[in-house]
Amino acid sequence: MRRVAPLLVSLGLVAAVVVPYLALGGGRFEPAPVADPCETRERPDADGLAETLERVALAGVDGVACELGVSREELVLALRSEEALTAFSEEQGLDRDELEQAITDGLVRAVDDAEEAGSLPGFVAPLVRRAAESVPPWLILETLESLGEFLP
Amino acid sequence: MRARLLGVAVGLALADSSIVTLALPEILGQFDVAITSVAWVLTSFNLVLALLAVPAAYVSRRRPREAFVSGSLVFAAASLACGLAPSFEVLVGARCVQAVGAALVVTAALDLLARVQGGDEQALRTWVAAGILGAALGPAAGGVLTQVLGWESIFLVQVPLALALLFAVRGVTGRPTRTPAGRPSLTANSALLLVAGGLVAALFLVVLLLVDGWGMSPAAAGVVVTAIPLVAIVVGRLRPSSLGPVQGIACGVILLAGGLVALALMPRAGWGWTIPPQILVGAGLGLTVGGLTEHALRKRPDQVVHGGWTIAARHAGVVVGLVLLAPVLTTALEENRDEAIRAGAAVVLDSEIPPLDKLGVAQDVLAEVDRANDVGELPDVERAFEGRPDDDEWRALVDGLQEQLDRAVTSAFSGPFLLAAALTLCALVPVALMRRRVA
Repeated sequence: MRRVAPLLVSLGLVAAVVVPYLALGGGRFEPAPVADPCETRERPDADGLAETLERVALAGVDGVACELGVSREELVLALRSEEALTAFSEEQGLDRDELEQAITDGLVRAVDDAEEAGSLPGFVAPLVRRAAESVPPWLILETLESLGEFLP
Repeated sequence: MRARLLGVAVGLALADSSIVTLALPEILGQFDVAITSVAWVLTSFNLVLALLAVPAAYVSRRRPREAFVSGSLVFAAASLACGLAPSFEVLVGARCVQAVGAALVVTAALDLLARVQGGDEQALRTWVAAGILGAALGPAAGGVLTQVLGWESIFLVQVPLALALLFAVRGVTGRPTRTPAGRPSLTANSALLLVAGGLVAALFLVVLLLVDGWGMSPAAAGVVVTAIPLVAIVVGRLRPSSLGPVQGIACGVILLAGGLVALALMPRAGWGWTIPPQILVGAGLGLTVGGLTEHALRKRPDQVVHGGWTIAARHAGVVVGLVLLAPVLTTALEENRDEAIRAGAAVVLDSEIPPLDKLGVAQDVLAEVDRANDVGELPDVERAFEGRPDDDEWRALVDGLQEQLDRAVTSAFSGPFLLAAALTLCALVPVALMRRRVA
């Protein structure tokens, strides 16, 4: 026992540091996992048109991301430029034209849903729908958000 | 006084194995080399020292005084060449020459210490303590010098120091050894190799995490990591006499490995979280390296040659550690980078800042990620927000992004720390064999 005692003391000292670290979240201190785009997100009510348009855009992105099996964040990052969208379609093994169509369809669907729910004013919905159908996907988020600035 | 100077010589020569750790980003910025190549500034010194320590010891046992003088001169000249190196190739070449000088200085100092201090036991104690202090203080000293005077100063300040150390041998005559050196201790030296491989994580990676990962200044990080050598000294002095030599080494291995596991499991980012693991590592360092070196040298007919074997084993361990841990860290950082970008994008999208600003912010953050990636640094979140408002919503966004970056960086270091802990624990096998032999 006398021979083993110092080794047990050493193990005890190690446990005195490692156990509290584990209890405080050690080993799980890593980038937060992104939310599942297929799950409904809880959000407070939008304040103003700019925020409403942002919600519509993000709901659209969520829908497309859920359909494609990727995260909302990956899709938003892919929508920041034409090059990023090309790289994303290659990475995911998706046809570029089909991807663009899926994004347009998803956004139009989000506009329809918002209009039906009454969160998007009737005179704005056609404008937004038109923008989603005609603007290239890598400019769509910027365009939708800019609309909020110009509309009353 | 002479014994102290000789101790400083050993510490100075061995500090060079880790002293440039914090200067690597600056060196990378000055010379047009790949990130993977810049580690050769560290690896080359340790590799040459590992290869030449034993041949240098054979030279030192015959002519210790001459070996020390010529080693100091070679070390001083090579340090000057490092500080004035016009290209990366010259720098790495000069580091190799510096290691030749270090091998001669360190091995010859062991013989000269025995002459100055009048006994092998006392000399061995001074030699071991100086080596541990030098290696442990190296990153901190290098960090302070890099921050205050630039990376070149790390080498240039060593030139007058190395020359001043020549005073240590004025009037001292060596005692050439003629008896056969005998076989080196396989168990003690292989345990030293494994422990040194694990220590790479504690001495190099902790400093990298503090400075490059969490954005501490090199000088402040230098102060934080002195916890390891301080605890090593205290534990070395307060070690209970009832603790058997092999028992003490085994305890040291457990404490060292445990400290590395704790470093892998830090629950938050912040220098304070590194202190308890550093205390464990320091205690382990104080019990293992000294104990193993003494085991490898004690009662051997020729301390100098066996001292050379321990230096070879330790620095081979450093090379093994660098070769094993660097790619694991690089891969983990790349993997976590993508995860952190996704987590950062979620933070931006869910933030309370005006919707119209979100895309612009995301673009700025990604541009900063790309810039940092190009120069081999981690992104500076604050830099991406220059010129933006400083109200609560924006502050919360900056904090949220910094939190994700901290999480990504800290967890990327976990794998290398755990690998280093496993490497350290492997040392228990030769230690157990030592125990059987002693019994």
